Amino acid sequence: MKDYLIFLWRCARLSFRGNWKYYTWMFILTAIALLGLNAYTKQLVAGLVTTGMTDQVSWGLYIANFTYLVGVAAAAVMLVIPVYIYKNRELHDLVILGELLAVAAIIMCLLFVTVDLGRPDRFIHLLLRFNFPISMLTWDVLVLNGYLVLNLHICGYLIYCAYHKRQPSKIFYIPFVFLAIGWAITIHTVTAFLYSGLGGRPFWNSAVIAPRFIASAFAAGPAIIILTLQIIRHATQYPVADAALHLLRRIVTVALSINMFLLGSEVFTEFYTGSAHSVSARYLFVGLHGHHALVPWIWSAIFLNTGALFVLLTPLSRRLWILNLACAAMIVGIWIEKGMGLIVPAFIPSPLGEIVEYTPTANEILVCLGIWAFGLLLYTIFVRITVPVLQGHLTADSDSTDIPQQVDAS
Amino acid sequence: MRLPVVKNQESVHSSASSCGDGCTCSGGANPYTGSTRPGMTRRSFLRRGAAVTGGLAALAASLSPLRDLDGDDIPSVQKFLQKHYKEMSGEEMEEALARIRKEVEKRYDVRPDIRDFKPMDGVEFVYGLNLSRCIGCRKCVHACVAENNQSRDPEIQYIRVLEMPRGSVDIEDGDHSYDRATVPDENHYYMPIQCHQCANPPCVKVCPVEATWQEDDGITVIDYDWCIGCRYCEAACPYWARRFNFAKPTLPKADLNPNMAYLSNRPREKGVMEKCHFCLQRTRQGRLPACLEVCPTGARKFGNILDPQSEVSQILKTKRVFVLKADVGTLPRFFYYFDERDPISDIPLEASSEHAGESA
Amino acid sequence: MGVGSASQSFSATWGAPLGGLLIGPAFLALAAVMWFGSLEIITPGAPTPLFDKSALTPGGLRPRMDEPPTSLIGGYNQRCNDCHQVFTSRFDPSRPPSQHTHIHFDHGINDSCTNCHARKNRERLILRDGVEIPFNEVATLCQQCHGPVYRDWKRGTHGKTMGSWQMGSPAQRRLVCTECHDPHAPTYAPMVPLPGPNTLHMGERAEVVHQKPERNPLRRWTTPARDADPHPINEEHN
Ligand code: SF4
Ligand code: SF4
Repeated sequence: MKDYLIFLWRCARLSFRGNWKYYTWMFILTAIALLGLNAYTKQLVAGLVTTGMTDQVSWGLYIANFTYLVGVAAAAVMLVIPVYIYKNRELHDLVILGELLAVAAIIMCLLFVTVDLGRPDRFIHLLLRFNFPISMLTWDVLVLNGYLVLNLHICGYLIYCAYHKRQPSKIFYIPFVFLAIGWAITIHTVTAFLYSGLGGRPFWNSAVIAPRFIASAFAAGPAIIILTLQIIRHATQYPVADAALHLLRRIVTVALSINMFLLGSEVFTEFYTGSAHSVSARYLFVGLHGHHALVPWIWSAIFLNTGALFVLLTPLSRRLWILNLACAAMIVGIWIEKGMGLIVPAFIPSPLGEIVEYTPTANEILVCLGIWAFGLLLYTIFVRITVPVLQGHLTADSDSTDIPQQVDAS
Repeated sequence: MRLPVVKNQESVHSSASSCGDGCTCSGGANPYTGSTRPGMTRRSFLRRGAAVTGGLAALAASLSPLRDLDGDDIPSVQKFLQKHYKEMSGEEMEEALARIRKEVEKRYDVRPDIRDFKPMDGVEFVYGLNLSRCIGCRKCVHACVAENNQSRDPEIQYIRVLEMPRGSVDIEDGDHSYDRATVPDENHYYMPIQCHQCANPPCVKVCPVEATWQEDDGITVIDYDWCIGCRYCEAACPYWARRFNFAKPTLPKADLNPNMAYLSNRPREKGVMEKCHFCLQRTRQGRLPACLEVCPTGARKFGNILDPQSEVSQILKTKRVFVLKADVGTLPRFFYYFDERDPISDIPLEASSEHAGESA
Repeated sequence: MGVGSASQSFSATWGAPLGGLLIGPAFLALAAVMWFGSLEIITPGAPTPLFDKSALTPGGLRPRMDEPPTSLIGGYNQRCNDCHQVFTSRFDPSRPPSQHTHIHFDHGINDSCTNCHARKNRERLILRDGVEIPFNEVATLCQQCHGPVYRDWKRGTHGKTMGSWQMGSPAQRRLVCTECHDPHAPTYAPMVPLPGPNTLHMGERAEVVHQKPERNPLRRWTTPARDADPHPINEEHN
């Protein structure tokens, strides 16, 4: 036990060390996170009136980000599956970085849900009267926290073993790895059911939402991992093989194609039938009665995604910088498609046909940025600790002063 | 594993001292506060101190808006420990009511008559609304606001009256903010919408903390002290019946209705959901909802569907009724119906001389 | 594996210009911004426009009239028969009446006072078969022409009930015809609507599309005259 506390202590200390780039990066993240905290306390004082949400559009940027990040968290399995099921070698040493990303993403998810609550002070009510299994939200709470614990366990165990230069005993993590694979699909499916289970919102009430969520997550998540791995490769001495990146590239390509296909099917169904239920889709893609706030967004998302898909399908994307561009385009494209493009239009028009558009306020955006910064901060710290441990620079009997610095700044 | 490291002067100096061979700090010594250690330069200590102080100051400053937190928003111990409505014993309910009485008195200078009305046996409430009679005067909207202590600023209203073009029953064609010198307009009819008290309420299903539920008399209620404000129910309701307190609700002291019930019109707080509850503080005492009593045309009908003699039973038996969005399977307890004749559109045919008044 | 530039230790970093000199002050500046930054709250917008609260009086639109009304004539409250025993007026629909001119009379083909008021006893109403009834039984009079409505009223599906929803409760009272309808002009007069909603993004009034002509299924069949003049009622009463 004492040994473990020492380990934690050393980790904590390690996260404060780095060269000036590391400090700058960490300072910027801390500053943004604090600004976000500041914005959130304002929201606490004044209420959710500080956001752009209304009774008509009752969920906005917070839930959009939440949905996106659940996908990012789930996408960690795209590293796990090749390694543990297909015994892939290149990705083997990278799995843990993906799982740590999942941990950071889940923590961000939980934060996004918390800031969306009107009465966070009553959080305890979730424990006292949990409407399980009727409410899909309770399922989400369970699976998200479960996934967090699973991944914390897997990563923590592996890192701690490396710290002790012990061979991890399979029984303590392999079952959990397989559990986590199934669980990852579950978290995103349950999150999709959160929306598709609402009969009163025809825009969501579609069986294709869950598969679409998974496909887009398995595109955006590995794309984020591709970028992250390269940053880690530049900032630390951690070896990341190009082959690993190219494997991820193939995964992204397949997932993105499926996602575009599902999106296309959705668009066809909505527009070809042209029933009254497709008003939200019409609002999203072409605007409704002179209201078209989301139209430029969704078209830029489609443009970014098709562009990325096109690039990925050609040999061009073997060049890393082109691959990176495609990944960046896709990350943004899917964020728009899934966030603003999926959450907001379901509320427009309102169930009574009223068109009230949604524009996030500055305060709301600051809160979101703050949470993103906090998540990145966490992830940076995770990587900061993990890399030296895995490389054997930080072990139970090593001198921690000699750990190479790393910078996680892009 | 020791690595060959190139260090600059200062770093060699300090690393050797704070974390020398064998790493003394791994035993728990704090290298950050080891200011007295030999070798720690004064300059680096100052810089480090400045950064830590700056960071803490920034943290404190980021929390500074809490200065403006309203005292009422900090839950008292009693309120924090208050149980879910269904778990409260009679005594605990009395305590809760006493607490609310005190809070209301403090805020509005009025001693409220607040009670906890239970559903009556053998009663299931149903609402009927005669679309041939409604003229769109919005009296029901404002009578509801007055009766149920809704926030005036920001404005919260439970009832929306839609101005519908003749020839359509699609509520998407409705106009919410029609603003005419007089109503009704002969090319339109009017459709008020409020909570339909669904028999299969999607809003109840989704609530993660059971803060909203359906009572035995069919009224779906909210425990305002239990709701966590996730707004999932608002997303689930197909009739847009729920309203969220995005800001602290305000209403003039003089306008407070002191006759209240725990589950209905007691003053709400910011961050919780609210909605129409068929005026249960009135209807559970046998009275009629406020929107009905103010309606100048008698378009609104309310009663016990389990009583075959009641007006609503008669309506269901003898009129052509319909419910909104029957396809979503919510089984509303709010029925719209028509008369044989429509008084608003009663435009005499030129060719006909038999403008015979009210006959069907 | 050791790479020089990446291997500065903790204190070295803090000794570096940026880390040491700037982080502290930068945090302080940030703190100042947040401390003095105002609590910017979007004002919840204009409250509901004021309106005359008397519009919210519950009940019928008109007083209950169990007894025939009296008129103030010559400083005295006169009952109907006080005059009508002396003057037997005859109503000729083609000529405007010389008395009771405040009465707006618009009851379709029912255009004669004595269709409803008993000629011989103006304090009573009269049925088609000559039976005189008191004022408080006015529904019996109206049902002679308005059968279906009377049927609905009897069932409780037309008209207004006050007091209680409990059938048979002493508090329950069904309003009679004349508590809502003016018997001389039974069609409802147009009303001024109370203010519309202003709940939307708690500030600016909603920019709601008032007319969605392309969605009106009757558009193709409505007569041009109606299209050109969509609010005839408004203009009449403006
Ligand atoms: S109308 Fe809406 S709020 Fe009312 S019971 Fe139905 S779903 Fe719930
Ligand atoms: S807003 Fe309140 S009542 Fe509605 S689902 Fe959330 S906790 Fe339940």
